Amino acid sequence: MNVFIIIPCYNEAKKLAKVIDEVKEYGKVVVIDDGSTDDSYEVAKRQEVKVIKHLLNRGQGAALETGNKYALSQEADIVVHFDADGQHQAAEIPLLIKHLIEDRADIVLGSRFLTKNDQTPFFKKWLILKPASILQNLMFGLKLTDAHNGFRALSKKALAEINITQDRYAHSTEIIEQIKIKGLKFVEVPVTIIYNEFGQGLMGGLKILSDLFLRKINK
Amino acid sequence: MIYLPLQIIVTIFVVLIVFRLIKKFKENYLKISEFISWLLIWLVVLVVFWLPQTTSYLASFLGIGRGVDLAIYVATLILFYLVFRLYIKIDKQQREITKIIRHLALKDKEKDKEKS
Repeated sequence: MNVFIIIPCYNEAKKLAKVIDEVKEYGKVVVIDDGSTDDSYEVAKRQEVKVIKHLLNRGQGAALETGNKYALSQEADIVVHFDADGQHQAAEIPLLIKHLIEDRADIVLGSRFLTKNDQTPFFKKWLILKPASILQNLMFGLKLTDAHNGFRALSKKALAEINITQDRYAHSTEIIEQIKIKGLKFVEVPVTIIYNEFGQGLMGGLKILSDLFLRKINK
Repeated sequence: MIYLPLQIIVTIFVVLIVFRLIKKFKENYLKISEFISWLLIWLVVLVVFWLPQTTSYLASFLGIGRGVDLAIYVATLILFYLVFRLYIKIDKQQREITKIIRHLALKDKEKDKEKS
């Protein structure tokens, strides 16, 4: 199995080396340096993994799509999306790709709310993430427990079908939309998220909504 | 004629803009359709300032009280429309920039492969 682990990275020089070290054993690591202004690029290079550099910062969605395109050109069987800031657990990668290897799904999505030791801050969970996932379920008629979790694994088929056009954070919703439209089989798997920073706040959520709306009127 | 000073200022302003328009058109920066529509807009401005009563006719025809109100409504609508168009255009350009950046990033990778 040709497993690629794609790590989009923007100014994460401090945490990147540790993250790469942890995921290395699970597949071929590809770091997409999304125009970082710190030395993320050099840090990744020193770890002797593939590093693809965006000359300008284009956002997480854009970086993931670049990684997907690269993996597709390298004939990847499985692609894992993994955050560079250390909020995901490398040890959980096998739990996700297991479903793809056993052919139970085309895409596996991590969900922080399915796990018992969910550490999501109260405000973030009930004011941002849960309303977002309810809205998303209403939009697409799917039953998902977590709206915006960057930890996911794609099969070869999903990789070929899914095309991310949302450059910033709205890509998570876009992926769900494409799962629905293209009729891909999906599975949600409990994952642990460790919060070291607040991540996207309420304004970030509103930005995602406006990005989604804009794409609806400007195909 | 109470508006005289303002009328003169606006006229000078419009004449300057029309000169610029003609220059741009001659230098091929503008398509003929764009040139004509901009020219029309500024001519309408002139008409509105020299013959304000024309807007009153139109306004009462459309059921709006005063000519000035009509002018403001129309101007606001045009502005909203232009802002909307700019918004759409910028979004499209952003996506195109992403495509270029992605192409460059992946092209560099191919070169790496050839070297190694």
